[in-house]
Amino acid sequence: MIELKNVERSYKAGHTETWVLRRIGLTIQEGEFLTVMGPSGAGKSSLLNVLALLDDGWAGEYWFGATAVHALNRKQRAEVARSRIGMVFQSYHLLDDLTVAENIDLPLSYKNLPAKERAGMVADILDRFRIVAKKDLYPSQLSGGQQQLVGIARAVVHAPALLLADEPTGNLHSTQAREIMQLFRELNRQGTTIVQVTHSDENARYGSRIVELHDGWLTRDEKLEPKSTEVGAQ
Amino acid sequence: MNNLWLDIRYALRQLRKSPGFTLTAIVTLALGVGANTAIFTLVHAILLRSLPVADPSQLYRIGDNDDCCIEGGFPGGAGDTGDFTIFSYDLYQYLRSQTPEYAHMAAAQAGQWTWSVRRGEAPAKPVHGEFVSGNYFEALGLKPFAGRLFSDADDTPAAAPTVVLSYQAWQGEYASDPLVVGSTIYVQARPFTIIGVAPPGFFGDRETDSPPELWMPLNTEPYVRGPSSILHHAESHWLYLLGPVRPGVHIPTLQAKISESLRQWIRTRPVLTANGGASITPRQHVILTPAGGGIQNLQQETGKGLQMLMILSTVVLLIACANIANLLLARATARRADIALRTALGAGRRRILRQILTESVLLACIGGFAGLGVAYAGCHMILALAFPGAKYLPIGASPSLPVLGFAFLVSLTTGVLFGAAPAWLSFHAQPAEALRGINRTTRDRSSLPQQALVVFQAALSVVLLAGAILMTKSLARLEHQSFGVATRNRYVLHFDPAGAGYTVDRLPGLYRQIEDRFSALPGVASVSMALYSPLEGDNWGECVIQQGHPAPGPNSHCGSTWDRVSAHFLDSIGVPMVRGRGFTDQDTATSPQVVLVNEAFVKKFFPSQDPIGQHFGIDFVPYSSSFEIVGVFRDFKINNPRDKVRPVYLRPITQQYAGYKEPSMITGEVQSMFMDSIILDFNSPPTDVESLARHTLAGIDPNLPVMDLRTFDAQVAGNFDQERLVARLTSLFGLLALALASVGLYGVMSYFVARRTGEIGIRMALGASRSSVIGMVLRGALWQVLAGLALGVPAALAAGHLMASQLYQVASYDPYALAGAIGVLALCATVAGFIPAHRAAAVEPMQALRNE
Repeated sequence: MIELKNVERSYKAGHTETWVLRRIGLTIQEGEFLTVMGPSGAGKSSLLNVLALLDDGWAGEYWFGATAVHALNRKQRAEVARSRIGMVFQSYHLLDDLTVAENIDLPLSYKNLPAKERAGMVADILDRFRIVAKKDLYPSQLSGGQQQLVGIARAVVHAPALLLADEPTGNLHSTQAREIMQLFRELNRQGTTIVQVTHSDENARYGSRIVELHDGWLTRDEKLEPKSTEVGAQ
Repeated sequence: MNNLWLDIRYALRQLRKSPGFTLTAIVTLALGVGANTAIFTLVHAILLRSLPVADPSQLYRIGDNDDCCIEGGFPGGAGDTGDFTIFSYDLYQYLRSQTPEYAHMAAAQAGQWTWSVRRGEAPAKPVHGEFVSGNYFEALGLKPFAGRLFSDADDTPAAAPTVVLSYQAWQGEYASDPLVVGSTIYVQARPFTIIGVAPPGFFGDRETDSPPELWMPLNTEPYVRGPSSILHHAESHWLYLLGPVRPGVHIPTLQAKISESLRQWIRTRPVLTANGGASITPRQHVILTPAGGGIQNLQQETGKGLQMLMILSTVVLLIACANIANLLLARATARRADIALRTALGAGRRRILRQILTESVLLACIGGFAGLGVAYAGCHMILALAFPGAKYLPIGASPSLPVLGFAFLVSLTTGVLFGAAPAWLSFHAQPAEALRGINRTTRDRSSLPQQALVVFQAALSVVLLAGAILMTKSLARLEHQSFGVATRNRYVLHFDPAGAGYTVDRLPGLYRQIEDRFSALPGVASVSMALYSPLEGDNWGECVIQQGHPAPGPNSHCGSTWDRVSAHFLDSIGVPMVRGRGFTDQDTATSPQVVLVNEAFVKKFFPSQDPIGQHFGIDFVPYSSSFEIVGVFRDFKINNPRDKVRPVYLRPITQQYAGYKEPSMITGEVQSMFMDSIILDFNSPPTDVESLARHTLAGIDPNLPVMDLRTFDAQVAGNFDQERLVARLTSLFGLLALALASVGLYGVMSYFVARRTGEIGIRMALGASRSSVIGMVLRGALWQVLAGLALGVPAALAAGHLMASQLYQVASYDPYALAGAIGVLALCATVAGFIPAHRAAAVEPMQALRNE
């Protein structure tokens, strides 16, 4: 589904150039649940930003299915991201002035879908995530776990082929974290390809494969046996 | 006191720490305070200043309007309203003898005339001089700077001719010559002895752009003007009366008493009571007005314009205040943690409030100080625009003590005004929340008052812009109206044969020479002369009586403008004949008296008749067959360009009517033989006309000075100095308001983008395109502008209604002005919003999220 060939990323500060990704070659199959690990500064988030098409400053080849992303211009890349990628953030990044339902509707609102169709999709996802009762609440009225649940709902509402998650449980306590990870597993089982960045070995075990980065180099790539915990999203 | 000093030091440190903010605020304030102070300098100098006399509060003028300069019969509007404002010498003496309530009742000439004045062998120069009564200086309580001032003894027929110089003229024209007192000067070629110099700062009894450079006693008027004298014409009104009223006098009672004296005097004048005059005598009256500020002609002329400018500059200041308040609000939000920490450490709200207000007032005072510089420069510009070429203008651009006080007061008020919003915000700050540093929130409490301020600015800007467009349109209509005359390549030269000692019998020879010499100049297409030229501000009028008609009543509106002109006058100003013939060489002193009339004259006095061959006369029935109409010329504007074309008749330079019996009419006829203007029409734009004209005139007679020379275009444009000033200042204020409002909107939207970078990053990470981000920011700007328009459009309509009296052929509810204002504001708002919007669209979501 995704193939990175010799992807490199560096930042220039004055006369020095700092490399954060070095010659990354990575193939992600459809339906995989990939975990990216590594110490701080290893390049995990940079890799995720490349995958999310939030970053344009990389070099190399990026194939998304048959699409040569590296050959696309900025606008075309944004279109790919809008239609095929969902993103979950560590600090949720819900908009405080929007209700739960409005937050979930946000990515749909950028797709020129008819309002009625959007409302149906939002209702479906609220129902699927069992948060219908909270649809009119504002983020400040939710717990951290609930906020992240909304964040995930927002990320998958437009049924992306690829779901990217950057430390999705980093701000949650362990019970909430487990529930979120089970939700990811369930989404993966339903066919969504997931790439998560985490420091947590426990979270990594929810996935099917681990890659590890050190100083921008890909140093480990290991397939895992699936964990047998049941999904228990709230 | 110690705390205050600490607050000031802290405030100064804060201002030093943010030089960008401080500079922006000071420049904004300097513009706002400067604009207000400049206008206030004018308002103070023109509307509020007292005459530099002993006790201005006791001075009262008999009269309340600007009737001028010589009026016969019932002067000005007295025929209609009964309001007597201008008086003959005879009436002045009568009222003075009847009114002991006036400690001194002085008289001053209503019109401002220019005289040819020569000292020694130097060439004569044009000088503004005023005839005044002998008690004039005593009435005003003035002491001489040098020599002595007039006394009643100087104002008698037998007294030696004397003049008093103004201090400014003594300094300028006479180079502060200490020996000037006692020396002789020649006014209209007649010797006068200079007896003194008026005190410094005394600019006469009224504000004007041409204050008198010398004063002469009333009784020297016949000496100066010879057969044109009007001193002893009891029905020729040409004097303003004023003086100190004795303490304790009840003004309404005095007013009633003088009115009764006036009526008694009128009843003794058969000329006034005849032809229905007796019926309007009972309503004749005077109105006493405080004259501490002098005779208020300029005030009446400019008062409305100045008040409007004061309001407009206040609006600019309010917009500037809103801008600074916005800047301070942004800072207050940024400094919330600082204020919260102080509160947490025990600072009371009053203490915090004082600190914030100290900073804003300090800023305002620095801005106000800078504003004085702006005001000085602005005032110079305004004076140059309002009074171009004015000599000895009694209005200075330097800030006086009251102006300094005004600027300080405005600065102080401004500081409190724009400091109130951030102070209010700090009152409502929750220390715990602020200290927690909730950076990830996308909500911003300060944005609402900031947006409200932008709405306020947008509303005021619409008002100013619509006003500016109305005034500019009105000026354009005035300036580009059809005057009916051709001005291109034409010059008007003013000269004064009487001042050079010419008598009526010598005039024909002089005029012939002038026509011959000027016609012979290279490039001259035609030369003409006139008693006065079109649109120079002069007007001669008489009551027209058609042959066979009865004497008109006092309210018959029989008036017509008239002028005496040479044969080629109409050619030289490009006015065609529409019927009959023009003046020819056959119209001589001995041939029948002929006149040319304009179409408006025909319409008014000979409707549905062939005017050619018709006869009419002036003022009295026996003269009603004096003149025969031989031609009709196309209408053109000869006097007030704002009015409709009035009936006009022209008489030839060669024909003096010898049939008048009344002294005043004989005098007028004689005086009208003295031409004032030479109109030169060139084939192509000439070079160095001034030296050519001076040389030519001096070649005819070295004693004939050029009193004034300007292009006909400039003469016409001079009619609109005040309108031009008001239109330009209104436009300037409109643009200033627009710039300030745009900067305000830009600031708020930039702040919006900066504060919401995280949110924008999230939206972009979730798929928002750059165009949708630009749209989001622009929508934010647009609603503020729309809300501003919703408030501003009705306000602009109301302002247009208030400005109606200042507009010429422009409706106060002009849809184009309103649409223009809205369009310009919308355009500027779009640009002001687009820059931060573009910046928002350039947000790198990855970077924004990392910052979160």
